[in-house]
Amino acid sequence: MNVKTLVNNGLLAALYIAVSVLVQPFGFTNIQFRLSELFNHLIVFNKKYFLGITLGVFLANLFLSPLGIYDLIFGVGQSVISLLMTMGVGRFIESIWVRMIANTIIFSFNMFIIAIMLNLALGLPFLITWLTTAIGEFVVMALGIPIIYALHKRMHFDKLV
Amino acid sequence: MSNSFIIGQYVPGSSIVHRLDPRTKMTIIFFFVIIVFLANSVGSYGVLIVFALLSMFITRIPIHYIVKGLTPVWFLIIFTFILHLFVTREGTVLFEIYTFKVYSGGVIQGFAIAMRFFLLILVTSLLTLTTTPIEITDAIEDMLEPLKKIKFPVHELALMMSISLRFIPTLMQETEKISKAQASRGVDFKTGPIKERAKAIVPLLVPLFVSAFKRAEDLAMAMEARGYHGGEGRTKLRALKIEKRDIFVYILFAIVIALLLYTRN
Repeated sequence: MNVKTLVNNGLLAALYIAVSVLVQPFGFTNIQFRLSELFNHLIVFNKKYFLGITLGVFLANLFLSPLGIYDLIFGVGQSVISLLMTMGVGRFIESIWVRMIANTIIFSFNMFIIAIMLNLALGLPFLITWLTTAIGEFVVMALGIPIIYALHKRMHFDKLV
Repeated sequence: MSNSFIIGQYVPGSSIVHRLDPRTKMTIIFFFVIIVFLANSVGSYGVLIVFALLSMFITRIPIHYIVKGLTPVWFLIIFTFILHLFVTREGTVLFEIYTFKVYSGGVIQGFAIAMRFFLLILVTSLLTLTTTPIEITDAIEDMLEPLKKIKFPVHELALMMSISLRFIPTLMQETEKISKAQASRGVDFKTGPIKERAKAIVPLLVPLFVSAFKRAEDLAMAMEARGYHGGEGRTKLRALKIEKRDIFVYILFAIVIALLLYTRN
């Protein structure tokens, strides 16, 4: 790993936390809505963002999540699995838009991992929890698509790391 | 400014829990998370509660810090408890609210799950309360060491984590500054339709990303100029060492596990 990739990913993780803590525009509690979820879309531009995003999720859950250790294992697991799936699917898709849509669907579907966690931790019913968390995730990630695309036009994420 | 926001809620102290090797604390928490699920009787929950409360008192961290850390969780705990009251239909009917019957099984299950959750949150929060983020990073680096064999960049990950921790406060100040600057120019983050609010995020994130990656570039250049070349053959400023107290705590924890197994149904 070269130094630039390493440092950029470190800063990306820090940014993930800063945004998680300070920017909550849609008026939900931070349990249900994390704006920094939209950083997940960065993976479609360059797979080198993988560690930065994962680390961001890890640190945010370590320090901020009320669910503590559960979120640490299942939340990071959900991100890692979803990111790897998107990286795999991305090989067959050229268009950035389609990739981001695929990413949104993958992340929403994989909320079943979070539903398992909530089922284990709190005994919440699995299917309803899956459905509600998946809808939440889908809304955030779908809203994130145009935002990240607008950012991409200025920042050129594919060439940053 | 959110200077008061301390990442990791670390509370300095000199208790035995503070001085334990971070690897010991993480290992014990890992096993605690597993054994919590083994508890199924009043006695076994009792053992775990005594262990958790005792650890909490030994840290000598003022109770209000711990209670404050648990505030976001109270809602979840109470919600789960009530959910189980109404959903579980086992045991005898205790009382009726309109058409809802509350069963004794629901009360017991709701209470058990709420208790389990409370225990987990309490014990895991003791880790972040008594361990600095840097210690946690060191411990993770050390514990992931075996992954080096499959070419996993363990050292790089730890360095990335330290860099990240160092820049979190800086970037938080930056976020605050930029959102105030944009608000003073009339950007509205808090009201209006969702579409407008989503749009308002772009002028916040663009300068934030630009400044973060600018900082990254400066840092990368500084590191390269000083000849940084990874973890190969490096020694540590803070070396981790297992002391007598760590072994003592492991033995104590083994006794807790034995008691738990003895008291469960």
